Amino acid sequence: MSNTFVDAFPKQARLIRQAFLTSFVALGVGALFGLIQALHRTDIFRPIESTTYYTVLTGHGVFLVISFTIFFLVGVYQWAVTESLEREPVDMRFTWGWYGLMVLGTLLAAFAILAGFTDAIDVSADVLFTFYAPLQGHPLFYIGLVVFVVGTWLAGADWFRTWWAWKGDNPGKRIPLPTFMVLTTMIMWYISSIGVAVAILAFILPWSIGLVESINPTLTRTLFWYFGHPVVYFWLLPAYLLWYILLPKLSGGRLFSDPLARVVFILFILLSTPVGIHHQYLDPGIAEGFKFIAMTNTMFLLLPSLLTAFTVVASMEHGARQRGGEGYFGWLKSLPWREPAFTGMALAGLVFAFGGFTGIVNAGMNINYLVHNSLWVPGHIHTQVGTAVALTFMAGSYWLVPQLTGNRLVGRSVALFQVLLWFVGIIFMTNSMYRGGLIGMPRRTAEPQYDGFDFEVAAGSVGELNAQLALGGVLLFLSTMLFLALMLLTLFNHDSEPIDERSIPRPLSGPEDSPPVLDNLKLWVAIAAVLVVLAYSIPLASIVSRGGLFGPDVSPFPVFIESIGDARFVLESILAGITR
Amino acid sequence: MRLTFPRLLLLVALLIVILVELRTVLAFFEIELPFAATIAIGIVGIVALLLWAFLSNDAPSER
Repeated sequence: MSNTFVDAFPKQARLIRQAFLTSFVALGVGALFGLIQALHRTDIFRPIESTTYYTVLTGHGVFLVISFTIFFLVGVYQWAVTESLEREPVDMRFTWGWYGLMVLGTLLAAFAILAGFTDAIDVSADVLFTFYAPLQGHPLFYIGLVVFVVGTWLAGADWFRTWWAWKGDNPGKRIPLPTFMVLTTMIMWYISSIGVAVAILAFILPWSIGLVESINPTLTRTLFWYFGHPVVYFWLLPAYLLWYILLPKLSGGRLFSDPLARVVFILFILLSTPVGIHHQYLDPGIAEGFKFIAMTNTMFLLLPSLLTAFTVVASMEHGARQRGGEGYFGWLKSLPWREPAFTGMALAGLVFAFGGFTGIVNAGMNINYLVHNSLWVPGHIHTQVGTAVALTFMAGSYWLVPQLTGNRLVGRSVALFQVLLWFVGIIFMTNSMYRGGLIGMPRRTAEPQYDGFDFEVAAGSVGELNAQLALGGVLLFLSTMLFLALMLLTLFNHDSEPIDERSIPRPLSGPEDSPPVLDNLKLWVAIAAVLVVLAYSIPLASIVSRGGLFGPDVSPFPVFIESIGDARFVLESILAGITR
Repeated sequence: MRLTFPRLLLLVALLIVILVELRTVLAFFEIELPFAATIAIGIVGIVALLLWAFLSNDAPSER
């Protein structure tokens, strides 16, 4: 008799499977777009026109960092809440409702993006994932994003509702750690996604529909980055959850400290949001002092990451020693490296640590100027979201999907090869990106090589960097396809049982060792709100007083070059508006 | 065989990754490792690792 999640909660397993399926479809499309970009900008193979590159780039960003990650998040979080509270949602219809809203939002935004490939439909949204004004997309794109975000808000409400129901039946009990992680993540998400909701609903959507004629780009950019940095943690925290909950189990041990894990997630509530301006160091119209404050806040964010590194590695060491590991470093040999779920997550953590150091470069006000808007930045994103998150999700799926289907994972050795292939591919690609960024190679362009100008490469040549980037992109694409194939085969691997059962061992230091104030969510929300007000009220007031709510007469920037009547005039008017 | 296949695969991957990053690190010290030399070192390293792993009658540890 197997003891898997699907045996205990078949209805919830079905919903989570659907969420993962949606996530993996987005992963497949996004990965294909990534391959096209890698080959195009290195001029190795160009199946598309350079103007179409930006449609591909928008799709790559939105499908991967919005659809893939967040659909996976809601799946993992539904699993975490159900498993740790041993309880179904209060009303499954509501649960399917928020999932349906998220799908609808994705379809609307995807339609707006993909329609950009054809001239037959007068719809496009080549505005990239950040949709900075004055770039303007079709209203459907923004409506889709809003519907999607509302879906995630309702998902959070659903998990809170389940917890409240559990709390009624279990008065005085500490919040189980996985549920605590889910609730704190959602609090952070509620606080931060208000920024993008206001940016879209109050300014960008009315502007794209034509209700207002102008927009203040600095204001909408600031509101975007109010959300844009915490959204990184929205992607990352489900990976943290898997590192805290699954890695110790897979290592053969137990989580080192439940209280430390709670502190980490609380720190993310407090510190994730009042830092967004560090993405705007080179934006005019924001005083240097506010940028300096954002930098200081950002550096504090290293703390939860370092705490996580300590706790997770300590848990892995404990597990290895339970398996007979000895010595200062000899215990590393006793870890279950043959397990793709473990190896993938461990390597994702390793790459995350490396990427964290490059993040310090991004966050430092002075040194940021060296790499700002260069290829360094996608290098950083691909080590963090593209590996710490994506590789953890893929590796985690090798444990989760058998739990959700009741089927044994197909091709365990191939799965191990897949995570290692990702590890090698990402190093090839991001190493090239970091080095390219340091010599000033621009990001987000189909044509990075200018006529009559040669980059001064510190080691090797531009050709080598391009070859390395393209090779990395190809390896990552192959790795993704392998992952999707294994998931598909596992889905149909009936008449088999997973190797592992669903139980999660208790932490070495449990919730009873942590002060009850950690579970006082209202307190942390209040402190986070104060920090947000301190960090953003004066900068926003300054931006509005300088440029007005609807901007200094900034018109939309057409997406297609052909449709620009006079590109020079438009550019001049934008520059005049920004510098006014 | 000294190593299990999964561990061997992991070590090969780590070797490639270290080589790629080491070349960058060395460049910061103005020690430029040519592309061909990097490839050659990589091949020699991997072959040496494979020989070390395979040329042994020891049974790999299952731990």
